[in-house]
Amino acid sequence: MQADMPGLLILDPPQSGEINMAVDEALLKNAISDGPVVMRIYQWDRPTLSLGHFQRLEDRDSNPLIAKLPWVRRKTGGGAIVHDLELTYSIVIPNRIDQPTKGHSESLYRAIHLSLVENLRSLGWDAKLSETCTCSMSASREPEPFLCFLRRSPVDILVNGDKMVGSAQRRSATGLLQHGSFLLRRSQSTPELCGLLDATADLISVGQENLRRKNSFDVSSAVDGWIDFLVQALQAGLRKNLRVDWRLGTLGDLCKIAWERTGSRPEQR
Amino acid sequence: MSITPEKLRYLNSHEWAFVADDSSGIATIGISAFAVEELTDLVFMALPKVGQTLTAGSEFGEVESVKAVSPMYSPVSGTVVEIHSALVDKLESLSVDPYNEGWIIKVKMSDPSELSGLLDWESYQKQCSH
Repeated sequence: MQADMPGLLILDPPQSGEINMAVDEALLKNAISDGPVVMRIYQWDRPTLSLGHFQRLEDRDSNPLIAKLPWVRRKTGGGAIVHDLELTYSIVIPNRIDQPTKGHSESLYRAIHLSLVENLRSLGWDAKLSETCTCSMSASREPEPFLCFLRRSPVDILVNGDKMVGSAQRRSATGLLQHGSFLLRRSQSTPELCGLLDATADLISVGQENLRRKNSFDVSSAVDGWIDFLVQALQAGLRKNLRVDWRLGTLGDLCKIAWERTGSRPEQR
Repeated sequence: MSITPEKLRYLNSHEWAFVADDSSGIATIGISAFAVEELTDLVFMALPKVGQTLTAGSEFGEVESVKAVSPMYSPVSGTVVEIHSALVDKLESLSVDPYNEGWIIKVKMSDPSELSGLLDWESYQKQCSH
């Protein structure tokens, strides 16, 4: 395994879909080969539909609950997601000169999702990998469902049979972007999908208590606790592929790193 | 004529170029068996238009596997003279024969000397084994 890479964890406030996707696109476009791995955890300031890179906008029109939502297109593939009562993560891993691009990294998906499964199971949820696929290469050749959370790929995370976490990637000349969505609660826009906390009250109570005990900090709200859960699980999963030395930071820190690399710090008084 | 991987030139991003032993100056371009295997099941491919001008190393299209999108880069500069549009509806042929049935575009090269800067089969195999 390579020496430790620097890592920057960014916990962003809820923002519009346009801003969220623009930030992730910029993180990938500007990834520096010896720069940090970036993990960003965020939410959306209003329920928003994100389309997979190749999805047709008109395919949302048959669902009136979804058709009225603001929408944005992701750079990553896969199906559409309604970002409402959920957490979104993005991870950008720069291409290294000593680690040539080798196509997609299913091992990264799998390591991260297995870590999430293990952590969910440790809290009492019946979590597992899907190990099934609805992709159009399957024998039926039926078109895949429009919504990501109605599709199945082998490394999607199921809890009690329902998909709770889905991820998608984009490769570029500069690095790899992995997006993921973690459903917490059922959205009014997608009543057919349940979130993790829509399980039985007893299970939620046990899971939340286990989460509080596992973490040293005070879980002041369910979302704060789950953000910390997600960060820990993602970092543990990444550790199976990469050694990353994480620190908490901001997008401003990334700008400073870029200035140092390029010597293009803005003039100031 | 059957194309075999040993005859091809490669980018380190896994695209290959084949130039027939004639005076046409046309390079056939595709992606390697290694890339197809790494990508896993392919579900969508976006191709350039005939007549589009490409520069060596520039993106000419995108391929989506199960939820992952990857760019495809041109090994040579030139003009797209043919696209394999039927491939989009039978992407599984890339898994069967990425070097013949799985060709993606043909480019009329503007600078054939660029071929010498690409990896040969032996060098490409070494890269893939890293």
